Parts: sequence; structure tokens; C-alpha cells
Amino acid sequence: MLVAAVIAATYAFFLIFAEFAFLELVQTAAGAVRPVMAALAAAGVAGSLVAAWRFAAVKAGRALAVAFGLCAAGAGLALVVPPAGLFGAAAVAGLGLGGLTVTLAASLRGLLEPARLGFWIGAGTGTAYAFCNLPWLFAASPRRQTLVAVALALLGAVLTWRWRILPVAPATGVDYAGRGKTTWIVWLLALVWLDSAAFYVIQHTPDLRGGTWGGPGLLASNALVHFFVALAAGAWADRGRAASVALAAFALLVAACGLLVGGETTGVAVVYTAAVSLYSTLLVHYPAHGARPWLAAGVFAIAGWGGSALGIGMAQDLQRIPSWFLAVAVVVFLGAWVYRRGPRGSGAAAGLALMGLLFADEARAQSDPVALGREVYVSEGCIHCHSQYVRPGTTDGVRWGPAVPMDELRRESPPLPGNRRQGPDLTNVGARRSAEWNRLHLQDPQAVNPGSRMPSYAHLFAGDAAAGEALVAYLGSLGAERAAELRAAQADWRPESGSGVVAEGPRLFLRLCAGCHGPEGRGDGPLAGRLSGPPPDFRQPAWRRLPPGEPDPERALARLIKFGVPGTAMAGHEYLGDEAVVSLARHVRGLHAASAVP
Amino acid sequence: MNVTAVFSRTLERHAFGWLVAANAVGVWLAALLLWPALGGLAGPFGYGRWMPLHLNWQLYGWCALPLAGALAAWLVTPDAAGRWHLRLALGAWSAALALGGVSWLAGVTSGKLFLDWHGWARPLLPLAMLVLWSVLALHAWLRRGEHGPMGRAIRGGLLLVLLAVPSLLFWAEGREVYPAVNPHSGGATGASLLGSTLAILVVFGALPAFLRVPGRAAWWYWAALAVGAGVFMAADHGDASHHATGQIVALAALLPWLGLLPAYLRGFAWHASARPWLHASFVWWAVLVVTGFLTFLPGWSERLKFTNALVAHAHLAMAGLVTSLNLTILRQLRGGGSCRGFWLWQSGCAVHVAVLAVLGWREAEDPAALFLGDGFSQAAYALRLGAGGAMLLASVQWWKESGA
Repeated sequence: MLVAAVIAATYAFFLIFAEFAFLELVQTAAGAVRPVMAALAAAGVAGSLVAAWRFAAVKAGRALAVAFGLCAAGAGLALVVPPAGLFGAAAVAGLGLGGLTVTLAASLRGLLEPARLGFWIGAGTGTAYAFCNLPWLFAASPRRQTLVAVALALLGAVLTWRWRILPVAPATGVDYAGRGKTTWIVWLLALVWLDSAAFYVIQHTPDLRGGTWGGPGLLASNALVHFFVALAAGAWADRGRAASVALAAFALLVAACGLLVGGETTGVAVVYTAAVSLYSTLLVHYPAHGARPWLAAGVFAIAGWGGSALGIGMAQDLQRIPSWFLAVAVVVFLGAWVYRRGPRGSGAAAGLALMGLLFADEARAQSDPVALGREVYVSEGCIHCHSQYVRPGTTDGVRWGPAVPMDELRRESPPLPGNRRQGPDLTNVGARRSAEWNRLHLQDPQAVNPGSRMPSYAHLFAGDAAAGEALVAYLGSLGAERAAELRAAQADWRPESGSGVVAEGPRLFLRLCAGCHGPEGRGDGPLAGRLSGPPPDFRQPAWRRLPPGEPDPERALARLIKFGVPGTAMAGHEYLGDEAVVSLARHVRGLHAASAVP
Repeated sequence: MNVTAVFSRTLERHAFGWLVAANAVGVWLAALLLWPALGGLAGPFGYGRWMPLHLNWQLYGWCALPLAGALAAWLVTPDAAGRWHLRLALGAWSAALALGGVSWLAGVTSGKLFLDWHGWARPLLPLAMLVLWSVLALHAWLRRGEHGPMGRAIRGGLLLVLLAVPSLLFWAEGREVYPAVNPHSGGATGASLLGSTLAILVVFGALPAFLRVPGRAAWWYWAALAVGAGVFMAADHGDASHHATGQIVALAALLPWLGLLPAYLRGFAWHASARPWLHASFVWWAVLVVTGFLTFLPGWSERLKFTNALVAHAHLAMAGLVTSLNLTILRQLRGGGSCRGFWLWQSGCAVHVAVLAVLGWREAEDPAALFLGDGFSQAAYALRLGAGGAMLLASVQWWKESGA
């Protein structure tokens, strides 16, 4: 019973202080949560390694008491130090917690009857979770929660100070050989990673938070589920079914995350709570059964601290659990299962994991297509060929439109000025290109723009085409608000006098225009059938885009060629020099004039 | 056995391995630019998804690992346990890079160059750095009795500074953080360029000590660095333009280092196998400083920003200077090694840089030539692919020599 109480005190300290109260204290006092939590995690890893290095069963009682003392000191410091001192509090508490978890896990086989190891670990784990779900503690202020954590740590120190622990032989068997150890660390890493991400999402989504921990009734039922599921998990582990428990925990956690991805709140609480109790019991049982300090350090440093950092980092950055990530997690978890079975399985497992990671389709759950399109733009690495930065006072303004104010650029997350132009600048592409043109160009760049170095993004338009259409929406949004300014500047544009070598025109026409307009300007190019409106036939006597009384038709035509026609598939050729544009204008006029002669 | 040679094989396998991987991706990218239709073979893994692999594997794999090895040679006990610990740290580092590559291919990226670590991949490299730091700190502690108070203070101070690096990197990877921007170019400010180059000069200055290269102490090097740091601190750190005199003057503070760095490094007795690489690094350093300053100046910046000329400059820094210096480190650590691949690499790099510089100069006047793939730019890209292939070949030779 006493051992279960110490396990409960350890887990409860971690849950109520490290995961809840300390986070709130830091947020209130310092604001900058990440660096302090990073210090806690780094100290936790360091504490785990030191504990493994210095572990000796005969001295483990004292070591546990010291570690509990460090935990109490760290938590106490967090209550009294100024904001800058929270780093110190994090370091002390992290060292204590890291040392405590490893020392305790490595000692349990020397303290408990082997046949009941899992049961008592389940009892301690379940008690800790149930205790933390008591409404008076769950809803208490961070300071009060911290005081309770200090009291628990001091109680742990008193209980363990005089413990005499028997040295035991390290466990053997498939789960403690090379493959087994790797498998278990991967499993526990995946479980902690998923749990940390799910916990963060629930905490930061008011509806989910209310549906999971809202009100005394839900908290009480969570407490009961935690306690009994943890007991059951321990009992199963005692019957040699630990791997099955891990699989059950993973399945439930994936189900809970699936519900979160789908925006579902009903049922999340029970599924999530049960999953957490199952794997939390295993997180102690696996290293405890092994009785190997370095294995315990590996489990807690990689799966515990590492998994928490990865899960919280992912959720903070993405604000959600991507469905592709769930798919990858399933592949990795099952891949590790295959790997555990031996050499034949390892290749298949590695292959499965890699395939899962590479071919996982990112389920971009954003509802705003422009925001989703920006994600697609970033994911596909468009910044490596396209800038979004018009340099004031350069030829950029004529080619790519008005500049964006610096404060507007800085408001973006992240800003995407780019550093290279294998293709045009896209600052104002939404005002320069129609959605129809962008769609066609993304799918078949070489057909639209012969010689272009851009790869095809037709795969983004496969299936429901959500990613492709979102990218089109994002591109359409770029510079849309500067369209009037852009049009005014274009209206003022005139080619430099003397521009134009007529001989250049036909060659350029065949290369740049014939795809839509046809080689003779009849509007019968190979792309014409893919456009919503047919290109004009230059042989018709009337111009479609030039008014009859246009005083300077060559200049007007040159402007159309240079900047295109807004809202249509007729795109500009802003990158061409004046000489090339005027040559093209003269050639097109020539086609028209020749055909206009009866 | 040479004290530092214990580590060299382990280190070379990782460092050259990442150089080969990054170069192979670079060659693939060069081929994609020349023949975009090749991209169809790779399905959704297009040019933009491969780029972060090339950039980050070069920076955090090839450029960083020899420096980490130099640090390890200084701190870690050169015995079997030390070698095992170093293997562990390098293994964690390489695992982080490999997983990072998977994340970028899967489209998980921050959208920030050289800081692409995002989502689930964001803590990977900081965690690997923590593992390395733990190994360094452990050995510094175990060997504390070998040093006097000053030696202990220097090692302790350095470890404290290094402890901040993982957290800083994690913070910098965030999308909400973005450095100062030169409003007239959209690129780096003069102060930023000065600061990052001074940081590199600090590393260069510490190398002889880390590698235990015999030579004379040169207080003037550190005094000049202190002056540079003063200039850096006095410069405007906001979104300052390259038209601002203060920014130009700040960057001009690097020009004296044209001579200072070679003079300093020449004062040490480098191993014969390291000397050709050291001399090559002096040449690249001179070209880098001069062209770096020129391309920042008004007029030049307007012409060359966003063009292949700046890609040439990046290769000048990474493939020219850093690679030559890293080979100096690795040859010094090993205390030998052949000069195979020296001219293959150097000539490949020179052609690569020259071709891209010419292409960039031309591109500023006529972007259509590049966008539409005219004959000249196709020929230039083909030459660049050949030069990249030569560098890949040289790196494969070195990797094989490392016993991998």
C-alpha cells in the first residue's frame, strides 16, 4: 500500500504541478512559457540520466527522498521567486522529477511482489489521476495546487527516507532484448506524443474542455474511469499482456484524436480518459518490470520528456492534430509491432513507417481556403522559386505591382518574402492573374508557359482538389486589395520610345501566344478548348479588347500583352522587355491587318 | 594514438555521409531545373519539397558536424567510453536530420529558410543538441581535475553558453519569429550580416585551441573581434536599409578580416594534410568578404538580389569556404589523410559559383531568359549540373575513405 501511495504521490506531483499549476504560474508571471518549460524538460532529462548513472538499490531510499525534496523545493520556489527565478524553479523541479521517476521505476521490483507489480502500479497511477480529478483540487487556483504538490512531495520524502530496497536481477525476455526495448520506447513515445497533443488541443478548445473536464459530475466520472481502468491495466500487465494493453491504449487514443480531428466532443472524455490510464500504467510498469536504471532513463527521457515536447510543440504550432499525423502514428506503431517480431519484420516495419510518413496525405482541416492555401504554398516550398517582395524604387514595381508595407509583411506568420526568383514575384499575383489561369498553370505549366521551369502540381487537384483549389484561392488573395493601384500604374505605362524589332514578334508569338491563340491568331490553339471563354480570332475585323477609336492602338495592344486582361485567362507578360512586347504588338496588329483586307 | 584521432573516423562517417546526401539532393535539384519534366517521376515530391533537405542537411549536417567534432575533441575523454558517447550524440543528431528530411518531404515545414523544423519535427534538432551537450558536459565534469581554475572556468562558461542554443533554436524555428528585414531589398540587413559573420569568426578563432594545434596565442585576433562586436552593437538592428550609411559602414568592418583571419590561422602549425584545405579556405574567404560587401552596396544589391548571383554567393560560402575549412578540421583531427578529390571539389565549386554569378548578372536585365529557359540559361544550368556532379563525386570519395 505504501509503495502504491508513493507511486501516486509521484504521478500526482507530475500531473498537478508540472502539467497544470506550474504552466499557469509561468503564464501569469512571465508570459514566456516555452523557455521555462524547455528548462523543466531539459532538467528532467538531465535528472533521469544522473539517476541512472548513480543508481544503487541499497541507497535508492535516500535517493528517492532527495528527489522528492528537490521536487518540493522546485515547486515551493515557483511560489516565491520573481518571474526570472522561474527558470531556477523549473531546473530544480525538473531535476527532482527526472531523478524520482527513474529511481522509483528501477526500485519497484525490489519493493513489490513480482506477481502483483502491475496491480500496485495501476493502483498508484489510478489513485493519482483520480485524486487530480477531485473537483476541489482540479478547480483550485495554481497556488493552491502547487501547495498540494509540495505537500505530496514532502509526504513522499518522509515515506521513502528509510526504505531498504533489495537488489534484483534485470528482467530478460523478448521485451527487454534490443528489439523489444526499441519497440517499447517507440510505442510509449507515440502514446505520450499523441496524449500531449490531444491534451493541449482539449485544453485550448473551450467546447472540448467543457465536454471533457467541465463540472463536478464529469470530473467525478473521469476519476472513477481513471482508477478502475488503471487497475485493470496493471492486472493485465501482471498476466503478461502488457503489449495488448499498449495496443488497446493506442487504439483508444487514436479514436479520441480522431474524434478531435472531426470536431466531435461527445464521447471524447471517456475514450481519452481510459486511453490515458492504460498507457500511464504501462509507462511505469515497463521500466519497473525491467529493473534496469538506464532503460528507465531512456523511457522517461525519450518517451516521457521527448514525447511531451513533441506533442505539445506540434499542437502549439498547428493548433490541431492533423489526420495525416494519426495515419503516420498508426503505421509507426504497427510497424514497431512487426519489428518486435524479428529480422524479417524489421525491413517491412521500416518500409511501412517510411511509406506512411511520405505518402500520408496531409488532411488540411482549415476551414478558410485562403489560410489553407497559404499552408499548401508553404508545404510545397513555393518560396524557393517565388518571392513576395516588391523592392521600392526598382523595376520590380513596373513588373510586379505595388510594394507591400513592412508592417503588413511582419503581420504574416511567417512572412514569405522569399529569396529567389526562378519564376515571377507573386506579391500581387491575385490582381495580375485570374483563378482560371492560375488553375491551368498549376496543372500544366509547360503548356501554358513553354520553357517554364515550374513542375506540375496536378496532384493537388486530384480527388476533391481541396489543396489545389485552396492554393488557387490563396494566390487570388495576394494583392487583390491593391488591384486599383496596380491598374492605375499599368494605365500610365508606355514602352520606351524606339522599342520593338518586328522580326522578333513572330517567333515570340509562336512561343508564348500560340498555345491559346493558335499559330495564325485564329483563337484555335491547343489550350483554347480548356478555357471558359474562347480566345479571340485576330482575323475578325473588330478587336475584342480595343475600343474602335483607340488613338494609339499599338501602345494599347502592347499594354494588353504586357499586363493582360483582368479577370480573364489572358495573362500578362510582365517579365518581357519593352522591345519584345512592342514586337509582339506589331506582329499581332499585322495578323489583324492582313486578315482585315478583303 | 593521436588524442583527437579517436573521434575522427566516427565523425567523418556522419559528416561526409550528410555531405553526400545533401550533394545528391543538390544534383537532383539542379537536374529538375534543367529538365522540369523529371519532376513528374517524383509525384508529389516536387522541387520545393526537396529544397529544405539540401539546405538543412548542408547546414546542420555537413557544416555543423565537423565543428561539433572539434568541440568534442577538446572536451570528451579519448577512450572507448568517450567514443561510444560521441557515437550516441552523433547518432541522435543524424536521426534528427533524417527525420527532418522525412518531415520536409511530407510537406511539414515552417516556411523559413534554414529553420524549416516545424510541427512534430520542431524539437528534433534541439533535442539532439541536448544529447550532444549532455555528453560534452558529462566529460567536462569527469575531466575537471585535469585543468586549472581558468581551464575549468572557460569550459564551464562555454557549456553554459551552449546550453542556451537548443532553446534559442527552438524559439527561432517558430513562425511568429522573423529577423530584421532590409526594406529596400527584402533581405538581410548589414547588421545581421555582420553579426552572423562575427559569430563564424569566433568559431574560427577557437578552432586551434579545440584541435590543439600548436602555435602562438594571438590576443590581437580577439581584440579585433571585440572591436567588431562593438561596431555590431552600435549598428541599427531594426529593419534598416542597405542605403543607410551606418549599415554599409557596419558591413565594411568585415573588410580588415580579409587579411586578419589568414594571418591568425597561419600562426599555427597545421598538419601537412590540412594545409592545402586551409589555403583554399583563405582564397574563398577573400572572395566571400569582397563579394559579400559589394553585393550589399546600393546599385549592386538592386541588380543581384533574388537572382542566381546570390545563389552563387551562398555556394561560395558553404561549398567554398566552409567545406575547405571543415576538411582542414577533419584532416587535422585525423592527423593525416589523402588529398584525393581536392581539385575535383575546388574546380567544381569554382565553375558552379562562376556560372551562377554570370547567370545572375544576366538575369537581372532579362528575367524572361531564365523564366522561359533560353539556350544560354539552359547551357549554364547544364554546366552547373556537371559541376555539382563533380562535387558529389569528390564527396563520395571522402565518405568511402572514412571507412563507411
